[in-house]
Amino acid sequence: MAAMRGPQVMAKRFQKRDKRFLGIGAQGAIKGFFGGNALLSIAILLLICVFLGKEAVFFFPKHHEELELYRESGQEYVDSMKRQVEGHAELNGLVAQAYYAELDEIAGKERSIVEAFGAIVDTGEDLGEDEIDDWADARDDLEDARDDGDAAAIATAQQAEAQARAAWAAKLGAITPELRRGEVDSYGRLTDADWEQLLASLGEWDPVEEEPPAMVEEAEAALKRKMTSFGDARDAFATAVSDLRQLKERLRGIAMDVKDEAVADQTAAARKAALLAGAEKAVQAEDRQRRLDEAAAIVIREKFPFAERTAVFYESKPEHAKVAEEYLVKFDAALALLPVAPGSPEAMAKLETVREKAPDFRSDFQRYSAAVQEWTHDKPYGWFKSLGKFFFGKDWVTNSSWHDFYGLLPLFTGSLLISLIALAVAVPFSMGAAIYVNQLAHPWEQHIIKLAIEFVQAIPSVVLGFFGIMVLGTFLRDLSQVEWLSWVPGFPMQERLNILNAGLLLALMAVPTIFTLCEDALNNVPKAFTEASLALGASKLQTILRVLLPAAISGILAAVLLGFGRVIGETMVVLLVAGNKIAIPDFAAGIGVVTQPAHTMTGIIAQETGEVDPGSLHWRALFMVGLILFAISLFINWTAQKIIHRFRIA
Amino acid sequence: MNDIDLDPVPAATGDDAIPVPDEPASETIIEIENLGFSYDHGKTETLQGISLEIPKNMVTAFIGPSGCGKSTLLRCLNRMNDLIDTAKVTRGTIKILGQDIHAPDVDAIELRKHVGMVFQKYNPFPKSIYENVAYGLRIQGVQKKSTLNEAVERALVQSALWEEVKDRLADSALGLSGGQQQRLCIARAIAVQPQIVLMDEPCSALDPIATARIEDLITELCENYTIVIVTHNMQQATRVSARTAFFYLGELIEYAATDKIFVKPDKKQTEDYVSGRFG
Ligand SMILES: Nc1ncnc2c1ncn2[C@@H]1O[C@H](COP(=O)(O)OP(=O)(O)OP(=O)(O)O)[C@@H](O)[C@H]1O
Ligand SMILES: [Mg+2]
Repeated sequence: MAAMRGPQVMAKRFQKRDKRFLGIGAQGAIKGFFGGNALLSIAILLLICVFLGKEAVFFFPKHHEELELYRESGQEYVDSMKRQVEGHAELNGLVAQAYYAELDEIAGKERSIVEAFGAIVDTGEDLGEDEIDDWADARDDLEDARDDGDAAAIATAQQAEAQARAAWAAKLGAITPELRRGEVDSYGRLTDADWEQLLASLGEWDPVEEEPPAMVEEAEAALKRKMTSFGDARDAFATAVSDLRQLKERLRGIAMDVKDEAVADQTAAARKAALLAGAEKAVQAEDRQRRLDEAAAIVIREKFPFAERTAVFYESKPEHAKVAEEYLVKFDAALALLPVAPGSPEAMAKLETVREKAPDFRSDFQRYSAAVQEWTHDKPYGWFKSLGKFFFGKDWVTNSSWHDFYGLLPLFTGSLLISLIALAVAVPFSMGAAIYVNQLAHPWEQHIIKLAIEFVQAIPSVVLGFFGIMVLGTFLRDLSQVEWLSWVPGFPMQERLNILNAGLLLALMAVPTIFTLCEDALNNVPKAFTEASLALGASKLQTILRVLLPAAISGILAAVLLGFGRVIGETMVVLLVAGNKIAIPDFAAGIGVVTQPAHTMTGIIAQETGEVDPGSLHWRALFMVGLILFAISLFINWTAQKIIHRFRIA
Repeated sequence: MNDIDLDPVPAATGDDAIPVPDEPASETIIEIENLGFSYDHGKTETLQGISLEIPKNMVTAFIGPSGCGKSTLLRCLNRMNDLIDTAKVTRGTIKILGQDIHAPDVDAIELRKHVGMVFQKYNPFPKSIYENVAYGLRIQGVQKKSTLNEAVERALVQSALWEEVKDRLADSALGLSGGQQQRLCIARAIAVQPQIVLMDEPCSALDPIATARIEDLITELCENYTIVIVTHNMQQATRVSARTAFFYLGELIEYAATDKIFVKPDKKQTEDYVSGRFG
C-alpha cells in the first residue's frame, strides 16, 4: 500500500505550475518563438533558392534554341572566318607595335627631325600665311615679266620679289623664337646642337615650293633607307588577310539578313494575330483596311527555309578554301620577311612573341578552316556544347545586332582573380595582425588594433570604391610610371581601374573578417598548449609556429575560406573599380595580368539587370550567374563548416 | 598496488639516519633567499621573504592551504611568471646551480631547458605521441632521426609509458587516457634531460591507480632528476618526498625532512595543517 501511495503524493507535489494562455504555456511559447525564427530562416533560404532557380532554369533551353538559330542562319559559319581574321589582327597589332618601337630606336632622331620640321611648317604656314602668299605672287610677277622680256618690268619685279622674300625672312625670324621646343620635338630626342642646326637650316626652306631644307631631306632619306625592309614586311603582313576579310564581310551581311528574317518569321503568327485584332477594333475604314493588308502580307511559314537561304554559304566553301590557303602562303612569306634581329629590344621581344604565337595561330586557323568546311546548317546543336558555351564560353556579348554570347568564363576569371589577389594580400596581413594581437601586443595595442579594424569594416563599400577610383587608382598608376620600377611585371599600367586596384580594396574588406575569425581561432587554442611549450624552453616565435598555428589551423583555414566568400560576393567595389572590361585577361602577361581591367559575376548582375527585359534570355542569363554565385557561396560556407568540425581539438 | 604505500622512500631513509634532519644530506641545487614576489607591480607581496634550499636528486614537496603561494613559488623557479606583465620579484634571489636566475645575462628560455615543468592539468600538444616527446629536442634544433628516436624511447621508458605506447607512437596523444597523458607530459619534460623537474599537483586530475603509477615514477625519477612537487595530498607527500616545505599565506612556515614534518613538526600551524585540523 505504501508503495502505491508514494507516487501519488509525489505527483501532487510536483505538479506543473505555469500559467497557460489559450492553452499554451510559457515554455511552449518560448519554444515556439525560437523555433519559429529558425523555421523562418529556412523558409527564406528555400524561397531564395526557388526564386533564383525558377528564373534561371529556363535559361538553358532558350539559350540552346538561340545557338541553333546561330548555326542555321550561317552566323556560326561566318564567325569561324571572323575568328581567323581576328587571330591575324592580334599578331598584326604586335607587328605594328614592333615596327614603331624599331622606328623609335634606330631612326628616332631622324623621325624627330622630320616630325619637328612638320610641326614648324604648320606653325610657319599658319603665322606667315600672308607673307608666303605675297612672296608667291611676287615670284609669279617676276616670272611673267621675264616671259615678256621687259627689262624695266623685270627690275621692278625683282625688287618686289626681293622685298617679299625679305618680309618672309623677317617673319620667319619672328616665328622661330616662338616655337616651343617641347611641343615641336615632342619626344625630346633632339640635342641642343640638332635643334640649333634645324633652326639654322630653316633659311633654306622654301615655303612656296614647299621644299624642305637639306637636313630634313637627309633625315627623310635615312628614315626610308633604315626602315624600308621592315616597312615592306609590315605591309605584307597587314595586307595578307585582305581577301579573307572581304569574303567574310560579304557573307556576314547575308547571314545577318537570314537571321533577321528567321526571327521575324518566329513572331509572324503573333504579329498577324495582333494586326487582325487591331483591324477589328479600328474605327476608321481605311485604318482597318491598312491593318488587314499588312496582316495579309505576313506569310506564316511552317518552317523557315534555311536550306534555301543558306545555299550561298555552301557555295562559298570552295572560295574560302582557296582564300585560306593563299592566306597561309602569304602569312608564311610575311613572317619570313620580318627582321630577325631588330635594333630595339622592345621590337625584338614583340617579334619574338609573334614568332612564338605563329604556330598556335596557324593551327587555330586551320581548325577554323576545317570548321568552315564542315559547317552544315541543319546539324543539331549538342546539349553539351550549348552548356559548355555558357560555362566555358569566352565571350559575354549582349545587345549585339549580330549574336549574343553568354559565356561565363571572362566573368568567372575576373571574379576569381580579384578574389585571389584580395586573399593574397589580406591573409598574411590579417593573420599577422591576429597573431600579434593575440600573442605579442600590449593590451592597449590590442585595443587600438581591434578598434581600427572594426572601423575598416564600417566603411561603406561604395565609399571604398570611390577611394579606389580617386586615390588608389591614380596612386598606382603614378607609381607604375616611376622609371626604376619598370621591371615590375605589368608596369607601367595602361589602366587606372584594374584587377589589382579592385583586389587591393577587397583585401581591405576581407581583413576584418579574416582577422576576427583568425583571432578567435587563436584564442580557442588552450593556453595550456602555449604554456607547456614555453616551459620546455621554446621561444615565443617557436611556440607560435609549432604549437599555436598548427592547433589553430582549422579555424584559420575556415577564416580564409569565409574571407574568400566575403570578397567573391562583393559587388560595389568591383563594379566601380575593376574596369568592367568583359574579356578574359591575357595570362601571357604573367603576373602582370593583374594590371588589366576585368569584369566580375557580381558586377555584371548589378550593371545589366536594370536594363534587360524581364523574361528575356539575357535576363535569365543574369539570374543563372546569380545562381552560380549563390552556389559558390554556399559551397564555401559548407566547406568552412566541415573543416572546423573535422579538425576540432577534442 | 598497495605495496606502494609501504615503499620506503630512499632519500627519506637516508635523511633519517642523520641526526640533524634540517640539513640536507646531499648538495644543494636550488637556493632561494629572502624571496619576495608580487603579482601587482609590488603593491602586495604574494610571497614574503622565502628562504629555502632544495637538495639535488631528491623529491621536495610543497604543501599548504590553497592560495598560499606554492604554485607561485614553483613558477618562479623556471621564471614562468615572466609571462605575466604585472608580476615581479620584489626582493631576494633564486640561485640554481649557483647561478642567480634573475641576473641580466640569464635567458629565461635557456633556463627552462634545464628546469622542466609538469602541469596540474595534463596538456599534451594535439600532435602524435612521438612528436610530443620529441618537441623539446626539436625546438633545440635536433634533427637527426636516430638521436630523436633514442631520446623519445628513453624518455618514454623512464616515464613508464613505453610498453603501452610503443606500437602507436604516430597516434594522436589526445587519444590516451588521462593518466597516460600525464605520464606523456612527464616524458615530454624529461626528454630534454633537465636537471630539475617542477610538478604542480601532477595527480590532482587522476584516479588512484594512475596516481599510484605517477608516484612510482616520481620515486624512480629522483635518481636522475631533482623534483619539486606541489601537492594537496598529505599521503602523497609522505609517500614520495624526502623533504617537505609548509607554506601559509605566502610565508614559509616550516621546512624539514618529510618524516619530521608529518610526525613531529616544530610549529603548531604545521601540525594543525598536516593533521587536518586546519581552520
Ligand atoms: N596570475 C595571477 N595574477 C594575480 N594573482 C595571482 C595569479 N596567480 C595567483 N595569484 C594569487 O597569488 C596567490 C597565490 O596563488 P598560488 O596559485 O600560488 O596559490 P597555490 O598555493 O598554488 O594555491 P592552490 O593550492 O589553490 O593551487 C593567490 O592569492 C592568488 O590569488
Ligand atoms: Mg597551485
